[in-house]
Amino acid sequence: MRAALTGAALLLAALAQVTVASLFPWQAALPDLALLTLLLFAAFAGPATVMVGLPLLAISLGFASDRSPALILLAYLPLLPIASGLEQSAVPLNRYTTWLIAGLATGAWARLILAFGAIAQGASADLGSLAFRLVLPGLILDGLLLSMVYLPIRAFGWEGRGPSLQQARW
Amino acid sequence: MVGLALFLAVAGQTGLLQPFQGLFLDVTRPIENGLNGIFRPVASFLSDAGSLNELQDENRRLRLENERLQNEVSALQSDADRVKELEEALKVQSGSGIEASVAASIVHRDSSAFTDVVSIDRGSSSGIKAGMVVLSSQGTLLGTVTRAFDNHAFVRLITDSQSKVAAEIKESHADGIVRGTANRGLSFELAQADIKVGDLVVTSGLGGNYPPDIPIGRVTKVSGTSQDLFRKVELESLVRVSTARTVLVLTSFVPQRLDLESR
Repeated sequence: MRAALTGAALLLAALAQVTVASLFPWQAALPDLALLTLLLFAAFAGPATVMVGLPLLAISLGFASDRSPALILLAYLPLLPIASGLEQSAVPLNRYTTWLIAGLATGAWARLILAFGAIAQGASADLGSLAFRLVLPGLILDGLLLSMVYLPIRAFGWEGRGPSLQQARW
Repeated sequence: MVGLALFLAVAGQTGLLQPFQGLFLDVTRPIENGLNGIFRPVASFLSDAGSLNELQDENRRLRLENERLQNEVSALQSDADRVKELEEALKVQSGSGIEASVAASIVHRDSSAFTDVVSIDRGSSSGIKAGMVVLSSQGTLLGTVTRAFDNHAFVRLITDSQSKVAAEIKESHADGIVRGTANRGLSFELAQADIKVGDLVVTSGLGGNYPPDIPIGRVTKVSGTSQDLFRKVELESLVRVSTARTVLVLTSFVPQRLDLESR
């Protein structure tokens, strides 16, 4: 039952990314609802859920947007390794900061890899726009969205989980 | 995960995923329509509220343009009547000028930097093939079909940065290439002529991928000096793509690349 609900939520996130997020652009960036959903699953359901759900999300998003599912999979892949690396680092970070940094880094990487994918297929390589109209506004959008959703969930008392597999359960 | 990515990349290239993608699009269409129905009015309201002054200016400009066009239509109507009379007198039969097309609704738009693609609710079962030209309901060039499934097709808009269209200035016939920019705008490149703000840019038909004389947009900005070999020209599409709901796929025009494939 839980797996079915997770699958349905990820499918809905992929469809929302192509239908809803496109309606709210800021500069050249769009809110990354797919990343936000993955991050919330990682933070509250555990990393195992994300490891199973990420391919499903990548395939759904690829099918809905006619992009390469492989590229989308690679775009969101760094989320867990970055969060895990941050948690095991010597710098003391709370859960919110850990997920925020991991989310921002993954968001920037995802936008870069998808843009480079388009450039490789013949799009003009406008690096100024890439940096200042795509990645930078994207970072701000991701940070705002994550804070607007993550913090109220924590405030309601739902405990977050760590990004390491040892601390998680399916 | 990397192995899975490699498998997906290979499967995507070999077309292994295509039947599944068609099925996926059929199944998820009601959900996409539902999401669109809920959020599109919200986005439209926010967009309009944020650009009220701009809309008022546009409204004034459109009223003036409407008046001018109505006068032109009236003059053209009398010319058409006169031509018809002459054709009848000379026993000449002209073509109807109406191209066969399929109307389709936009299901969703995937627009981000470097990418501007829409999906439509008609596909190969309606005679649509990859490479066909897509127009707005008023006849302005919107893009080309990149992939067609049974009941769906993906259309790359001219504002996508991978899009290139052979075009010319309507008045001077100076030709160049209209390209999509990273910000989902349009630029007119490689044109060597005296280009002015307000000039109309249409397809030139060169290359055989688009029929000639389809309106694309108007010149909004020309930068650089007369010493420059090519000046930087920005265009504004005649159609507001974000609010377009219906498109026409031109099925009567066979682009050069489709023609070659069918031989």
